[in-house]
Amino acid sequence: MRKFLMIAGGAALLAAAPAMAGFKLMPAGQPQLIRKSALTVTPGIAWNRLGARLGRNAEAWTLDGNTLNDLIFYTAIPAGQTLFREVDKKNKPLPKFDAKMLAPDVVAMFESSYRIANSTSLFSVDSVEPATFAGKPGFRFTYSFTIQNEEVRRSGEATGAIVNGQLYMITFEAPKIHYYDRNIADYRAVVASAKVG
Amino acid sequence: MRFVSAITAAAVVLAGMPATAQDAPAPTAATGPQDEDERGLWMQVEDAERKLKASNFVIRDPALNDYVRSVYCKAVGPSECAGVRIYITRTPFFNASMAPNGMMQIWSGLFLRVRDEAQLAAVLAHEHTHYRQRHSLRLFRNIKDKTNAAAWLAIVPFAGIISLGMLGSIFSFSREMEREADSGSLTALSASGYDPEAASQIWGQMLAEFDATAAERKRKRRSEGGMFATHPPSVERQADLKKQAAALPAGGERRRGKDSYRAALAPYWADLIDDQIKLNDFGATDLLLGQLASDGWTAELLFARGELHRARGAAGDFDKAAGYYADAVARGAPVEAQRGLGMALLRSGKSAEGQAALKEYLRLRPEAKDKAMIAMLAGESS
Repeated sequence: MRKFLMIAGGAALLAAAPAMAGFKLMPAGQPQLIRKSALTVTPGIAWNRLGARLGRNAEAWTLDGNTLNDLIFYTAIPAGQTLFREVDKKNKPLPKFDAKMLAPDVVAMFESSYRIANSTSLFSVDSVEPATFAGKPGFRFTYSFTIQNEEVRRSGEATGAIVNGQLYMITFEAPKIHYYDRNIADYRAVVASAKVG
Repeated sequence: MRFVSAITAAAVVLAGMPATAQDAPAPTAATGPQDEDERGLWMQVEDAERKLKASNFVIRDPALNDYVRSVYCKAVGPSECAGVRIYITRTPFFNASMAPNGMMQIWSGLFLRVRDEAQLAAVLAHEHTHYRQRHSLRLFRNIKDKTNAAAWLAIVPFAGIISLGMLGSIFSFSREMEREADSGSLTALSASGYDPEAASQIWGQMLAEFDATAAERKRKRRSEGGMFATHPPSVERQADLKKQAAALPAGGERRRGKDSYRAALAPYWADLIDDQIKLNDFGATDLLLGQLASDGWTAELLFARGELHRARGAAGDFDKAAGYYADAVARGAPVEAQRGLGMALLRSGKSAEGQAALKEYLRLRPEAKDKAMIAMLAGESS
């Protein structure tokens, strides 16, 4: 089972995760500080936090298992840092965040990071619009992608803002069939509860 | 058939290889696998082909597929190409592969890296030689003799698919087969009227690209890693191919097919370049754009150059990008050049001009997917 999860996880972004260290329950209604940073959220329903680390400033939650519905937090990413852990720094370096980025630049960095980390060219940005995140002016975008040799079509939504020169963002992604529509509202509830600082 | 034996003879003479399968018929769907080993290979590969057929990554555009097939058939002869299925997949790297049952895969990144029809024909004929000489089967038997069949599965993810760059590194045996395929490619090019010089040029271009990637990332090129591990060292390979091409009988047709290649690929450049830019490999992408612009910078290529510099975002990049976009717009670039221009100007502190360009983008592309965000950046009240 452990091995299966690693393989399944390897399919999506969690390719970057080195090992599965189990799940921790994130109960409904309890505020959670993400990666001891400035980002706090209060989930409306119970989620499971993945033990695997996506990077110094990222963490993932799921309902039914990773790649079925992934809630990913990016918190306090400083200038010069990648979105998540490098998959192959020497040969496939990921783009780095810059505090002067505008929302479309963040979207482009996200897209490029996903294409590189997942070795896929089937990634499209479907909408980009202004949004409020943790009371700050920010952005929201939607995307879809497919990973080679896995072929599941996934949809995603991301909401975030640059606060004091650092990037804060929460994404949700799930298979287009069933899972995405079923839990997108739960994701938006988590986003609405986000506080920075 | 005469053509086929010419390939085989050349392979034996030039590569000095014992070509065990040389007298057997081509392993087509009609003849099928010949013995137990081959049947086992086919079963695995047929399963891989069923999955590939349904893949989201296969580019099914009939015009592109017809063109590639026509070049392949010209290069190896109509009777030889008949049973082979070609799958073009959207993968932005240089590779092609051949399975023992006649399933050929070509990665879309290859089209950005070959410059004319003769170079495309060189790759296709190389893969054809692997197929025709039953290299998968020979490699399988070689591994089986040394270890066991299970090891084969561990080493080659899709059993029996000989690719330009995906096999494990420990088999000098596969290097010999690469030399044989290179020789087969040259003979086919020469016999079909393509310039055999094309084969060595591809490797020269690949080396230049690896150097460009390495230079931008401030490190040395990996001399024998990656795809060079199974393939004869590229410097040596390039020299060998050049020497062999020069030794071929002079005279006859030496077609390059640059114009026909460019015309056939023109509808796909934008997507191919976009996939390449998003790989975050400035050095290689800059080099490839320069190669594509060998006959002059078109509006599309200038737009791509702007996108490349804007994506890197290093010191001075936004000013350079704005310049490329402006030139592109002047030459009738795609509407997205206005978006790039606006974003580059905003990042280099020229707010008023940047907002004007973004407004122009929205006027020309009112249905843009990022309309709401661009409108805000353009200072429009939505």
